[in-house]
Amino acid sequence: MKTPEAEIWRTFDVHSQTLANGLQVLLVENPAIPAIAINATVLTGARYEPEDKAGLAIMASNLLDEGTTTRSSFDIAAAIEATGGHLETDASFERIVAAATILKQDVDLGLELVADLLINPVFPDDYVAKEKSRTLAEIASAKDRPQVVAGWALNELIYGSHPLHRPAQGYPETIERITRDDLLQFHAQFFAPNNAILSIVGDFKIDEILSRIERQYGGWNPRPVSLSAIPKPLRQRERREKFIPMAAQQSNIYLGHLGIERRNPDFYALQVLDTILGGGAGFTARIPQRLRDELGLAYTTFASITMTAGIDPGRFVAYIGTSPENTKLAIEGLLNEIRRIVDEPVAPEELQDAKDFLTGSFVFAFESSAQIARFLIQARIYDLGFDYGEKYPGLIKTITADDIARVAGIYLDTENYTLTVSGPMEER
Amino acid sequence: MSVRVDSSTFSGDVVRRTLLDNGLTVLTRELHTSPIVTAMIWYRVGSRNEELGQTGKSHFLEHMLFKGTDRFKKGAIDLLTLKNGGNNNAFTSHDFTAYYFNFASDRWEIALDIESDRMVNCVFAPEEFEAEKKVVIEELRMGLDSPWGLLLQELDAAAYKVHPYRNPVIGWLHDVERATSAEQQDYYRRHYHPGNATLVLTGDFETDRILDKVSEKFSAIPKRPDPPGVTVIEPSQRGEKRLQVQWRSKVPRLGLAYHAPEVAHPDSYALQVLNLVLTEGKTSRLYQRLVEREQSVTFATAEYAESKDPTLFHIRAEARGAHTAEEIEASIYEELQRIVADGATTQELDRAKHLVQAHFILSRERAVDQAMLLGQVETLYGLPYIDTYLEKINSVSSEDLSTVCSSYLTAANRTVGYLIPDGSAAGEDAEEDADEDA
Repeated sequence: MKTPEAEIWRTFDVHSQTLANGLQVLLVENPAIPAIAINATVLTGARYEPEDKAGLAIMASNLLDEGTTTRSSFDIAAAIEATGGHLETDASFERIVAAATILKQDVDLGLELVADLLINPVFPDDYVAKEKSRTLAEIASAKDRPQVVAGWALNELIYGSHPLHRPAQGYPETIERITRDDLLQFHAQFFAPNNAILSIVGDFKIDEILSRIERQYGGWNPRPVSLSAIPKPLRQRERREKFIPMAAQQSNIYLGHLGIERRNPDFYALQVLDTILGGGAGFTARIPQRLRDELGLAYTTFASITMTAGIDPGRFVAYIGTSPENTKLAIEGLLNEIRRIVDEPVAPEELQDAKDFLTGSFVFAFESSAQIARFLIQARIYDLGFDYGEKYPGLIKTITADDIARVAGIYLDTENYTLTVSGPMEER
Repeated sequence: MSVRVDSSTFSGDVVRRTLLDNGLTVLTRELHTSPIVTAMIWYRVGSRNEELGQTGKSHFLEHMLFKGTDRFKKGAIDLLTLKNGGNNNAFTSHDFTAYYFNFASDRWEIALDIESDRMVNCVFAPEEFEAEKKVVIEELRMGLDSPWGLLLQELDAAAYKVHPYRNPVIGWLHDVERATSAEQQDYYRRHYHPGNATLVLTGDFETDRILDKVSEKFSAIPKRPDPPGVTVIEPSQRGEKRLQVQWRSKVPRLGLAYHAPEVAHPDSYALQVLNLVLTEGKTSRLYQRLVEREQSVTFATAEYAESKDPTLFHIRAEARGAHTAEEIEASIYEELQRIVADGATTQELDRAKHLVQAHFILSRERAVDQAMLLGQVETLYGLPYIDTYLEKINSVSSEDLSTVCSSYLTAANRTVGYLIPDGSAAGEDAEEDADEDA
């Protein structure tokens, strides 16, 4: 079976403009189905919140749709739900997103609701109290999941005092401390048109939608936003370990260390490395092939360094969930595969397969309007260029076995890593 | 090549249905919005077809279909998927097993090569079978580390007396441990053949050309007799059943299971609307009552999955703070009683109907979602279901909700399960506190 030579790529024209108040607007007409995806991203997130108020950014995001100056929480929900559309808010360490998917005929409502959430939230006292108690309960519930517990512990040990050490939803004691004033202040500090990107993709005409956007977002007042510089986290120079006893069926094992920023030029070589080591299609990568297919140690096992790359360095992570009696074997297995890719050159065919996978499967990231809208934001934040789709195969094709050896040597560390394990401990 | 061709006018678009001489049903639906093709094959076999003592066989078989044929040796299917920049996966339910590939639209042929080959040529090397058994057991253990995985497993096992829906799709641990390659092979021969399968192709292709290829790859596979049907009928429940499941957590969780009818049953449409009115979105009844007013849960949700035989209508919720499962349960019953007494408002009904319509439109965006919808409908009931579906949902009235609520969501027809602490959680917290203090 011969691999096709040509890359399949879906081209689209991006209309990019900045409103007078500084709001960046990115539009793509996509009449595939009579629906529209709206993604409004504010360039803030949990990395900017104070340590003693950890959880503030996610709480602010969750409360955006719980009341504005003109609409109650119920009004907002009733308006969107009456159309069959979806409206959601989400926060990460570096972004807060209000997104809607709506049918074509409801475009005005979608634009208006997203604008209202971003510009006019009031963080009502009773909802702040509800959200705090709900978050505390969610943290308690998440602690029942061994994989979550091991993942949280890994971040604590890898990031030290850098904000990414925290669970994004905060800690019970920091949640308790958050007040309505904190939320209003966080909103005033970061939510400004000149600190936001509005990306809309779907069944509309650009010239028609522009006036609608101007109507809903043009009156949003700009103000100076300063995004504080955050000291870079340092790579660990020793081994760190934590074992967390839990009465569980499986041991959940994370092994990792500091990763890379998305802007790192070695991102593409490391994507190829990820595909060979712990990702790719099915169980073709070395870690799932060896630990799952050959040794039968796990259902889920993977590794990646590029998956979490962002403004801040992400994590290199190798994960496996295995029966407690296999814990030692599984840790050894992960380490062996990491060592092997650091110490030995990758085979030519393995390299070619990984590159063919990445260039061939790239098209799946652009199937829906919502995916394209997210890509536009990503392209703007990291300066990827809207022609990224055309450039991408070239970025991957030029990667050589020497590149893989070089980046493995620089970015993977088989001595100074963090190991966290949750599960029954008496077996160890 | 084919004996019958007809079409469905699902949402104004034509889905073509072709039947090969050997009994294979092929559904094709062109979608030219992305240069992508999904090839998905559905077999009418799932955990409902399994004999006692051999549960989990359908799911285990799904794993074995990646373990090699004479033509595609172990690992070759994933490797070809990798080389061609595609992705693949598979899933098993009570009623079906399905496999799919997504490829860019210039390389879909490989999917047909693989599916036609592994429909009949899977080799079941004993060493591969034993190796994969370990993986399946790890998957089973992983499921038991999820509170809902465990509670729903126990709840369903208690709700049904005889129907095989009582068994988890992944099987019971001891059945999986003692499974043999020979049983597996026999099961495969009985259930994997053209007449028991539907091939769904969606995406960026020309129908006539892809059907020629389908014929070329699949026509030589011989027709085989249909496997015996499942004849078990679940007797009516004669009173409430209650159970407690011990687990490590201190967070109380609650699950309710009501016996409910199968797909396309005249009452199934009202139950689907009821599901949405109860728990979909922030305006829904249980959200307003339990999350907003009483603040007693982190979430409450209902599930009523389309299924071949009579099934369960689930409601479940997770308690928060000092709230108890008992008080949440009582509130849920009051809300059900309100539906029985007053039905739902026009706004609630309209909202649910719009939601279903929007879902239909959005499902046409990605080839894989479309294939999922078409394959499931054809496998469970047949394509005509989809043509009348929106109309039937639209005709559901407030009285219908009241009627189905009073006929199915009754005390005598329900099984109630609580997840309760097994005592291990206290020690675990002490350990964590010690770490934080250090």
